[in-house]
Amino acid sequence: MIEHLSEWMPQLWRAAGDTVEMMVVSFVLALFIGAALAVMGASRMRALSSAARLYINVIRGTPVLAQLFFIYFGLAEMGVVMSSYQAAVIGLAANSGAYVAEIYRAGIESIPKGQLEAARGLGLRGLQVARFVVIPQMMTVILPPLANQAVILIKETSVASLIAAPELMLRARDLASEYFMPLELYVVAGAMYFLLAFPISMLARVLEVRLRVYR
Amino acid sequence: MSAQSGIELYSHIVEVLITGVRVTIEVTLGSLAFSMVVAALLAGCQSLGGRLARALVQIYVELFRAVPVLTLLFIVYFGLATLGIRFDSISAAVLGLGINGSAYCTEIFRAGIAAIPRGQVEAAYALGLGRWQVFRLVILPQAVRLVVPPLTNFAVQLLKNTSVASAVAAPEVMLLARNLVNETFHSPEIYLSVCVVYLCISLPMIRLASWLEHHLGAAEARP
Repeated sequence: MIEHLSEWMPQLWRAAGDTVEMMVVSFVLALFIGAALAVMGASRMRALSSAARLYINVIRGTPVLAQLFFIYFGLAEMGVVMSSYQAAVIGLAANSGAYVAEIYRAGIESIPKGQLEAARGLGLRGLQVARFVVIPQMMTVILPPLANQAVILIKETSVASLIAAPELMLRARDLASEYFMPLELYVVAGAMYFLLAFPISMLARVLEVRLRVYR
Repeated sequence: MSAQSGIELYSHIVEVLITGVRVTIEVTLGSLAFSMVVAALLAGCQSLGGRLARALVQIYVELFRAVPVLTLLFIVYFGLATLGIRFDSISAAVLGLGINGSAYCTEIFRAGIAAIPRGQVEAAYALGLGRWQVFRLVILPQAVRLVVPPLTNFAVQLLKNTSVASAVAAPEVMLLARNLVNETFHSPEIYLSVCVVYLCISLPMIRLASWLEHHLGAAEARP
């Protein structure tokens, strides 16, 4: 195995880079999708808030693999053809967006109603209330779960290998069938996922402890 | 099956998918049981054991929380086979999902135990209760209330993760769907039906989890 490592590692590191890129792009998209859903969910218009609710429940209740297969294979059959990478990013972002929306909602709900009324009473406008009152306090509540969501997303990118999107797990599978050493390659891949995910999960824990002080 | 449309097509799809539901539920329950047993042992070591035991449990938890289910599954199914340790696809799925799940489950149990105020335990000792009695009569009844809602959410997570077992050819809903797509090419209809089948199982569980949360007292932590 040792003699093969020098051949594997450069390829696996490059693939790990693809994994990180896929994760970052879908996480950023998820932050926006989540914001849109949270705003819709908080809307007074019944149709908007129930549409957001429906979306979140459907995403939370179905496997990410089924979502990816629908987006990649299902939509192609209906004429919307995209690359496996695009499908993976869209699917992962659409999935994480629902969880991010729930995180935002918890953040908004953690702020006492009286503060909003007081801010209004002091003459602040809607956006000012959001900027000076809601968002700074919300951050302390949402940052730790957002970091946890990032960890979940890193691990979920592995599922994208099943639609042949280029990332770490796909490379490991290709190498495993080429060298016929599945145990070694999957253990190495697992170690690399650990190296990517563990620092963020530590960050989540540190944030949880640090930010508790301000509440 | 040739050109079909509408109701006929969907009823055929659902008929096929339903036969996979049993395996999906088997794998979910199997890995849930595995996770809970391992997690109970680990959480026990953590709260009763010494420093070394606590450190080892912590390493296990951090390690298996950071590795994707698919990778674990491939290590168990394809990797161990090269050492001569062979599992059929369903056992491999139960084991792979169970190892990953036990890490989350340990955290849930730990949080449940940690939520019991230290003073209660000290008071129980002062009243002359033994270690096991304190655990059985003081900690356990209260911890169960805190642990049940996050465990229900965890079970939903497991249910969804069983779909990944299709990659090692466990005959659950997702694999049957993939096979059906290869036969009929009706992929949009089939994957939509897959989602509906999962929703029929998961939505009641999600509902139950939030009902339990309100009725058993709040508990956080989503796996």
